Amino acid sequence: MSDLLTCVGLERSFGDLKAVQGVSFSVAVGETYGLLGPNGAGKTTCISMIAGLLDPDAGEVTVAGQAMGPRASAAKNDVGLVPQELAIYPDLSARENLDFFARLYGLDTARRKRRVDEVLEVIGLTDRAGDRAGTYSGGMKRRLNIGIGMLHEPKLLILDEPTVGVDPQSRNAILESVETLATDGMGVLYTTHYMEEAERLCDRIGIIDQGTLVAEGTRRELVGMIGEQDVVRLKTVGDVQAAEAACAVVEGVSSTDVEEDTVVCLVDEAAPRLPALLAAVGATDADVSGVEVREPDIEDVFLHLTGKALRD
Amino acid sequence: MLRAATVILRKDLRLRLRDRSVLLFAFVIPLALTFVFSQLFPTQEDFELTAGVVDLDGDDVAAGFTQGVVAALVDDGLVDATTFEDEAGARAAVEDGDIAAAWILPAGFSADVSAGDGGEIRVLVNPDRALSAEVARGIADGYRAELDRISLVVATSATAAQGALSGSQLEEIAELAVAQAPAVSTTELIAPDQQLDPTSYLAAGMAVFFLFFTVTFGITGFLEERQQGTLQRLLAAPIGIGTVHLGKAMGAFVLGIVSMTVLAIASATMLDASWGDPVGVAVLIVAGVISALGVMAFVGSFARTAEQAGNLQSIVALVFGLAGGVFFPIGAGTLGQLALVSPHGWFLRGLGDLVGSDSWTAVLPATAALVAFGVVFAVPGALRMRRETA
Repeated sequence: MSDLLTCVGLERSFGDLKAVQGVSFSVAVGETYGLLGPNGAGKTTCISMIAGLLDPDAGEVTVAGQAMGPRASAAKNDVGLVPQELAIYPDLSARENLDFFARLYGLDTARRKRRVDEVLEVIGLTDRAGDRAGTYSGGMKRRLNIGIGMLHEPKLLILDEPTVGVDPQSRNAILESVETLATDGMGVLYTTHYMEEAERLCDRIGIIDQGTLVAEGTRRELVGMIGEQDVVRLKTVGDVQAAEAACAVVEGVSSTDVEEDTVVCLVDEAAPRLPALLAAVGATDADVSGVEVREPDIEDVFLHLTGKALRD
Repeated sequence: MLRAATVILRKDLRLRLRDRSVLLFAFVIPLALTFVFSQLFPTQEDFELTAGVVDLDGDDVAAGFTQGVVAALVDDGLVDATTFEDEAGARAAVEDGDIAAAWILPAGFSADVSAGDGGEIRVLVNPDRALSAEVARGIADGYRAELDRISLVVATSATAAQGALSGSQLEEIAELAVAQAPAVSTTELIAPDQQLDPTSYLAAGMAVFFLFFTVTFGITGFLEERQQGTLQRLLAAPIGIGTVHLGKAMGAFVLGIVSMTVLAIASATMLDASWGDPVGVAVLIVAGVISALGVMAFVGSFARTAEQAGNLQSIVALVFGLAGGVFFPIGAGTLGQLALVSPHGWFLRGLGDLVGSDSWTAVLPATAALVAFGVVFAVPGALRMRRETA
């Protein structure tokens, strides 16, 4: 597959804060690429440079062979942006919102009418097309927000955390829409801090932390970076921080984290290490009330690479 | 660029038409206030100044005022004059509200004027009757100005003749100068901004006052786009930030032009206001809208949110409006000069010039001033906005 989006050595600072440092990755035609990282990792800054909203301090963005930047009209035509925050006009109807952006992208009359109707159908708002967007539910607004991004049939659709603050039903509908886009041949760049979304949607995933792309690959490749490790989850009663500290020094444990009352450990092999882990916790003011051993996932990869959880 | 800016303009106008506050600010409130205020101010035909005269001098020059200027105004039915023996009586009458103003011609007034030492007509006024007070001052100032002119003619003649003129010859020259002196124009005094009648003045004043609120919807619209996240989406489209600014400015411009035009026509048809030659009015309206856009863009560039911008712009619009005399006619004296620090003052002056002239070109000085206001404010405003958006 040929590259639709290429980012090379992207850097961007805001004052003393280095928001993005040397990020390079590419997205192929028809590929869904997930940019996964916690809040403040630099995902939105990357998106802003890729969408031509910000000039990078260093590095280069190319979309369909054209250099991207704030004045790159041709490259912008190939990109659709779905911002993290709702970017719709609440006093216009869904049809009027779509019609406005279609005109802004220069769609001719026939194509504009066709695309507005098609997008209304895709986002399930045909029946409410004439109602003001301000009267919609949160999920409907989110769907309209996505619809505007795909309206002009861009080659690359950028979705910046599109499911934040969305109810489970609408979230599922959004994920299904994105899956459909990918099968239609559109390249998708999807940022999220939800591991499940990245695993479900993305062909490849880039893990970003503190402005740096720390790893990328398919799910299998990323999980393979941990090696033959297992995840041991010890549900505790009592001082969970003390329990984590005790587990961290057990031989064979590569990293630990706390999720509410549970200590999460990445362990070389779970079976021979389990007695030592239980003994370590037992020596603290905490007691183990439950044990779970499972295969690692992307979240565990993130923990392994950065030493912290995605939702930190 | 223009195509995309027009798309933004159409969207903004659609949104604004759904926002009733624009309709209120642009059309309803200015007309309503014009109607209300026009009921409070007298028309030129209704106006009569009740004034007292105290002649403590009793000589020729003082008589020129009491028996010449004042008597003529009484004959015209514009002044109801009462003679007082002393200043105390006149002051008491003013304080009691029996008369609106009084002219005091002090002892030695004629001698001072003849000696070239000036001469002062003091004016007592009732502060509650601002228009009458202004007119009384204007009549006194007008007479003083004529005396100065005559003195200048005589002095110039004497200097030119290098002492060859006799005293009687100089008196003849003075009499000739007096004979050629124009009467003090009460029309100008009652309607200080040239010949705009009170209703027209108020209609124009209200229109230009609310114009500065109307155009703010374009400026705050940009900040609203930023607040609601749609600016990011606009900038992700194949247009530049300049196109967004242009679209917003075009929207404000169209709203301003439509508002002013509707108000001019409505005040003429509904309130019998007369703004003057339509070509001159059109030129002045365009210039007025440009000045409003420039000033409000500059003020808006200091705001981070639409609410902040609205507050700042309201303060500036109010201060400029008051300084420009949009609520009441102000004279040609110090207040009249102060009015010219405001685009509102220039707009009203331009209309006054237009009404007092046969040609629409009379508005050109005011037009130039208004456009200058717009440019001087718009350039730093645009630079600030560009820097804020970058």
